[in-house]
Amino acid sequence: MVMRKLQLPLSQTQKVRFERAIERLQSLSSTANSDASVIVTDSIPVNHEDAFLKGHGTSEVDGELLATVCGVVERVDKLVYVRTLRARYKPEVGDIVVGRVIEVSQKGWRVELNFTQDGVLMLSSMTLPDGIQRRRTSVDELNMRNIFVEDDVVCAEVRNLQHDGSLQLQARSQKYGKLEKGQLLKVDPYLVKRSKHHFHYIESLGIDLIIGCNGFIWVGEHVEVRDPMVIDDQKDDEMISSSTKNTGKEQSHIPPETRQSICRIGNAIRVLSNLGFTVTVEVIVETVNLSNSKNIDIHDMLGSEFHVVVAENEAERRRAKRKK
Amino acid sequence: MGSVKRKSQDDSSDFAPPQKVHKEEDSTQIINEELVGCVHDVSFPENYVPLAPSAQGDNKPPAKEFPFTLDSFQSEAIKCLDNGESVMVSAHTSAGKTVVASYAIAMSLREKQRVVYTSPIKALSNQKYRDFKEEFSDVGLMTGDVTIDPNASCLVMTTEILRSMQYKGSEIMREVAWIIFDEVHYMRDSERGVVWEESIVMAPKNSRFVFLSATVPNAKEFADWVAKVHKQPCHIVYTDYRPTPLQHYVFPAGGNGLYLVVDEKAKFHEDSFQKSLNALVPASDADKKKENGKSQKGLVVGKLGEESDIFKLVKMIIQRQYDPVILFSFSKKECEALAMQMSKMDLNSDDEKDIVDTIFTSAIDMLSDDDKKLPQVSNILPILKRGIGVHHSGLLPILKEVIEILFQEGLIKCLFATETFSIGLNMPAKTVVFTNVRKFDGDKFRWLSSGEYIQMSGRAGRRGIDKRGICILMVDEKMEPAVAKSMLKGSADSLNSAFHLSYNMLLNQLRCEEGDPENLLRNSFFQFQADRAIPDLQKQIKSLEEERDSMVIEEEESLKNYYNLILQYKSLKKDIREIVFSPKYCLPFLLPNRAVCLDCTNDDGEPQSFSIENQDAWGVIMKFSKVKSTSEDDDNRRPEDANYTVDVLTRCMVSKNGVGKKKIKAVPFKERGEPTVVSVPLSQIKSLSSAIMNIPKDLLAVEARENALKKVSELLSRHPDGIPLDPEVDMKIRSSSYKKTVRRLEALENLFEKHKIAKSPLIAEKLKVLHMKEELTAKIKSLKKTVRSSTTLAFKDELKARKRVLRRLGYITSDNVVELKGKVACEISTAEELTLTELMFSGVFKDAKVEELVSLLSCFVWRERLPDAAKPREELDLLFIQLQDTARRVAELQLDCKVQIDVERFVHSFRPDIMEAVYAWAKGSKFYEVMEIARVFEGSLIRAIRRMEEVLQQLIVAAKSIGETQLEAKLEEAVSKIKRDIVFAASLYL
Repeated sequence: MVMRKLQLPLSQTQKVRFERAIERLQSLSSTANSDASVIVTDSIPVNHEDAFLKGHGTSEVDGELLATVCGVVERVDKLVYVRTLRARYKPEVGDIVVGRVIEVSQKGWRVELNFTQDGVLMLSSMTLPDGIQRRRTSVDELNMRNIFVEDDVVCAEVRNLQHDGSLQLQARSQKYGKLEKGQLLKVDPYLVKRSKHHFHYIESLGIDLIIGCNGFIWVGEHVEVRDPMVIDDQKDDEMISSSTKNTGKEQSHIPPETRQSICRIGNAIRVLSNLGFTVTVEVIVETVNLSNSKNIDIHDMLGSEFHVVVAENEAERRRAKRKK
Repeated sequence: MGSVKRKSQDDSSDFAPPQKVHKEEDSTQIINEELVGCVHDVSFPENYVPLAPSAQGDNKPPAKEFPFTLDSFQSEAIKCLDNGESVMVSAHTSAGKTVVASYAIAMSLREKQRVVYTSPIKALSNQKYRDFKEEFSDVGLMTGDVTIDPNASCLVMTTEILRSMQYKGSEIMREVAWIIFDEVHYMRDSERGVVWEESIVMAPKNSRFVFLSATVPNAKEFADWVAKVHKQPCHIVYTDYRPTPLQHYVFPAGGNGLYLVVDEKAKFHEDSFQKSLNALVPASDADKKKENGKSQKGLVVGKLGEESDIFKLVKMIIQRQYDPVILFSFSKKECEALAMQMSKMDLNSDDEKDIVDTIFTSAIDMLSDDDKKLPQVSNILPILKRGIGVHHSGLLPILKEVIEILFQEGLIKCLFATETFSIGLNMPAKTVVFTNVRKFDGDKFRWLSSGEYIQMSGRAGRRGIDKRGICILMVDEKMEPAVAKSMLKGSADSLNSAFHLSYNMLLNQLRCEEGDPENLLRNSFFQFQADRAIPDLQKQIKSLEEERDSMVIEEEESLKNYYNLILQYKSLKKDIREIVFSPKYCLPFLLPNRAVCLDCTNDDGEPQSFSIENQDAWGVIMKFSKVKSTSEDDDNRRPEDANYTVDVLTRCMVSKNGVGKKKIKAVPFKERGEPTVVSVPLSQIKSLSSAIMNIPKDLLAVEARENALKKVSELLSRHPDGIPLDPEVDMKIRSSSYKKTVRRLEALENLFEKHKIAKSPLIAEKLKVLHMKEELTAKIKSLKKTVRSSTTLAFKDELKARKRVLRRLGYITSDNVVELKGKVACEISTAEELTLTELMFSGVFKDAKVEELVSLLSCFVWRERLPDAAKPREELDLLFIQLQDTARRVAELQLDCKVQIDVERFVHSFRPDIMEAVYAWAKGSKFYEVMEIARVFEGSLIRAIRRMEEVLQQLIVAAKSIGETQLEAKLEEAVSKIKRDIVFAASLYL
C-alpha cells in the first residue's frame, strides 16, 4: 500500500491516531507482492529455458527481460507483464470512462480522458438523441454542436484502440452521453478498480454516480434513462411537449438537498483520494454515512479531523473484512 | 384453399397464471380476409397500442416496383414493411421470398438507413451480394473470408459476423434500421442455431426485422417471441403456396416404371403406392449386401450386363423431357459415384458443349497452372460438357460455383447434389430425384423427415416454365404407406430453439457494462418456448384442482383422520411383517405342510382396500427355495426377498394375459379357484400358522390338492385366526424395534375402536373416494413442481457451472469482471476458446515454428476422422500431445465444476489428421502436392484452411491485447503463409 503524504496540518493527537491507523493498514495489506515490484530497467527474472510470453511493460534486451515501467510484475501462466502504479490511465476495450469534450471536429468529438492521447467519440458511434436507426447525414454533422459542445462532460465506453494508439469511444445506449447537473472529480486512475458496474444510482439520495475507469468520477442528480421505445409510442404528444419540457428542465432548480448530497459525496471522494484509498461505491457511501453520523458539515469534511476518522474507519473495515 | 382464419384470441389470454411475470397479451388480428393462400397474423407486445395505419402510411410511392404482379403473400408482407413493422415470411423456397427482402433494402436505401442482410452460409452471402449489387449498387459484403465495401448502406454478411459486430458495438449497429434474416429456420441447427438467437436478442431496440424462413408450423410462436423481446409488433405472413404444384412419384428399385403416389392436388394414391412396392425387386434377394449397412451398393454397382437403376431412371427422365433434374443423395462419395455411372450419357448439343468449355476455362483462368492440373479440375470438365454435374461441399469452391452458374444457364441437365444444394439461391429444376429415402444420421439410417423432404422437393418446378414439378423417390426397400404418407405429406419441421451456452458468449456478455448472460437467457427463444408450456400446465393443474374440489365428502375431517390412521396402521403392519419375515427369523419355520396365510392384494396396481380386514388366502407351504440367478422377472420382486421364494398350495385364479403368459393369482380362500401350487416371494406371506397339516406327498391329482386345502379350511373353521405363530414366543424375535412397533400398533388399534366414523355406513366407499382425492392432490403437487422449475431460468445451473469454470481458470474474478485471459478468449469465436487460450498462455505458440503453429491450429478446425490418416511426424505429434493434454485439463476442470462433458470425447474432438497436409501447405507446397498427403475432399481441406485463417486473425487481435508483439508478428506471418493460391481464390460471384 503506497500511502500518499498528507498535506494537512495535524494536531499532535491526530498525528498519533493517523499514524496508528496507517500502521494497521500497512500490516493488513498483503506483503506477498512487495518483492515483485520493479522500476524501469530492472531485470525481471524468468526461466529462459521455458517459453514465456512478454506482455505490456516489458522488453527483451540482450536476452534479458527488462521492465519498461515502474510497477508490479504480474504473471499469468507463461505471460509476464508489469502492472503500473500511479501511471496515466491505460484504456482497455469495454472500459467505462468519463471525459470532457475539448473539441468538436468534423465527424466526432475529441474527449480528454487523462490518457496519453485524446479519445475520439465519432458521431456514428453515438446513439442519436431521437433514437432512430439511420445513417448519419451531413445535416447531422452540422448539428453536432446541438449534442455536445466544448467543455461538456460525457460518459462513454472504450470501443477500440487504433494502431496508432488513439482511442475510439462509443455510446451504446441512452445512458451514455452528456452529463449535466453535477460535479466532475478527478482521482488517480489506479484508485478505480474495474468492476461489473460503473454506473451507480444511490437511491436514498437520488444521486447518480459514474466511476470512470480513467479516474474521472461524475456525481450528479439522478436522471431517468428513458426508454427510446416509450418515446416512439407516444410520439405525437411527446413532440410538442418535449421542446418545452427540455427547456423547462434546464432552468429548473436542483433542490438544495440534492446539491448538498452532491457536494457531500464529492468531498467524500476527495478525502478517499487524498488518503489513497480505492474508490468504490461501497466505500463512498460508507464515508458519506460516516460524515453524517458524526455530524460533520460538508466543508469540514476536507479538514484534517475527518481524514483521520476515515483512515481509522478504513483500517477497522479492512480488519473486519479480513476476519471474515 | 381459401384463407385460414385464426381465432383472434390466443389461449394464453383466457387464463392468467398467478405469478407469471410478463406474458404478452397478444391479440391476433386478421387484416385481410379475402386473401388467397396466405395467412396474415400479428403479434403485439404487451400494452401495445397499435397505431392507426394511416398515421405512417402517408401514401408514399412504393420503394420499389416489380415487373410482375406480386403474389398475395408478397404484397401482404410488403404492406407491413411500408408500415414500418417487422415481418416474418414463412413460405416454400421457390415461392419468392427474396422479393420481400429486396423491397426492404430498397426502402432502407430510400430512407438513407442502413440495412443488413444475413444468411447462414458464406457461399449464399456471396451469391446474394452479387444479386443485390446488380440491383442496388450501394452494397457491401462481409464474411469471414472477404470484406468488400463495409461502409455501404446495404451489407450482406453471415450471421456470425453480425453477432460479433453486436458484441463489439460497431457503429453499423447504430445505423441499421432493417435487419433481414434469411433462412431463419437455421435457428434449429444444433451447433450454430444459437447465433441467430443471440443476434436477434441483442439487435438494436429500434430496428425492424424481416425474417425469411421455410414453412414452419410455429411461425406465430416465433413472432410472439420477437414481439416480446423487442416490444414491437411482428407480422407473420405464412403460405403453403407453391407457384408450381408438385407430383410425387415412386421409382422402385429394380423396377422400370414410375408410380404416381401424390398428385398435384395433394391426394395420396394408396393403390398406386402398393403397386410400386410390389414392383420392388427386393435388394436382399438379388445381392446380399445389406449387412455392410450400405444399402446403396445395389444402386451404385448395378448388375452385370444390366444398366443400373439410376441410369435407367435418368434415361427415362430425359426421354420424357423431365429435365433439368437434380438428384439428391446423402453423401459426397455417393454423389460422385452416381455421376460416374452416367458416363455413357450425353445430354448437351455441340453448341452447348462449346459454351460450357468457354465458361469453364474462363472461370478457372484465375488459377495457377499447377492448380489447373488438379485431378478434380481436369476430371470434371468432360462430364460437365456432357451436361452432367456434381455439387457437394467436397468440391473446390470455384468448381462449385462454375457448376452453379452452368446449372442456372441450363447447361447442366442432370445434377447430382447433396442436401446443401437445397438451401439458398433460386436454382430450380423441373424434376427432383431422391436417390434414397433413408439418410445416415450419425449412427443409424433413418427415414427422411417430412421437413427435409419439403425443403429438397422445393427445388422441383421452375416458376413460369413448368406447369408442375416432379419429385421422384427411389425406393429400394419396403416402406409402410403410413411412413411414406407422413414423409410426403407431413408438415414442416417446427422451429425449435437449439440454444446452448458457450464460454465465448458468456465472456462477451460479461465484458460489457449492459451485458448480462442471464438477461440473454431470459430473452432467448428457448426460455420463451419453455414459458409457453406453463399456461398449459397451469390449465392442467386447474382442472385437476376443480376435479378434486368437486369431490365432496361428508365429515371429511374425521374421515381424513381415519384415513391417516389406516395408512399408519398399514405401514406399521408392514414394518412388523418385515421384521418377522426377514429370512433370519422366518426361514426355520418355512416347513413343508405348514398352513400359511398369503396376502393376495398386494399384487399389481389393484386399488387398495381400506378396511383393516385384508383378504387372505390360505394355503400350505410345499417348500421354499433360494433363487440364485437374478432372472428376468426379478424386477417385480423386492430386493429384500429376492433370494427366497416359497411354493405354496393355494386357491388360484389362472388367467392368460395378452402375451399368452400364464398368470396365476392367489385368491381369497372362500372364493372359487383352482387349487394350484404357486411360488410366492417372502413379502407376500402374511402370517404363518403353527399348525402343520398332514398332507400326502403326491399332489399331482387335482383331488389330492383339493383335499389338502379342505384340511386347511377345516383348521380355519376350528380356529378362525389360523393359530398364528407368535413372533415373540414361538419365533423368538427379541429385537427392540419389533417390540416398539408392536406397542404402537396396539395403541393404534385402540384408536380405531374409539373412532366413531368407523361405524358409519358406506365407510369403504367413502374411503375410496378420499383416496382418489389424495392421489389427485399428489398429482397437482408434482405438476406445480414442474411449473416452478420451468419458471426459473433455463440453463441457470449450467450458467453457474460455467462461470465457475471461468473463475477457476482465472478468466473472470469473483465479481464477474473479465480478466486478461478472459479478454483473450473473448476474441476467439471460431475455435474451442478455452483450450486455445490455455495453449496460448502456456507459451506453446511462442516455441513452435510458424509452420508448426499453423499445423497445430488445424486440429482446432478439423473435426472429421480419417480412417487411414498417417500419424504426423514427431515434432507435430509432440505439439498435438501438448494440445491433448491441455484439452484434457480443460475438460476435467469443467467436469469438476459440474459442467456436463464427456472428457474423452472432448479430447478426441481435436483431430490431427490434416496436420501434415497443412504443414506442407504452410511450407509453400503446391495444392496438388498437399492433396497427395491428405486423402480428403479438396473442398473440405480448403474450408479448413480458410477457417484457420479466421482463427489466426482472432489470435492476432488477442496477442495485441496482451501486448505480446513478437507473437503477433508470428501470427501475421502465419497468415501470409497460408493465404495464397487456390485456397483463397476469390469467389466467382464477387
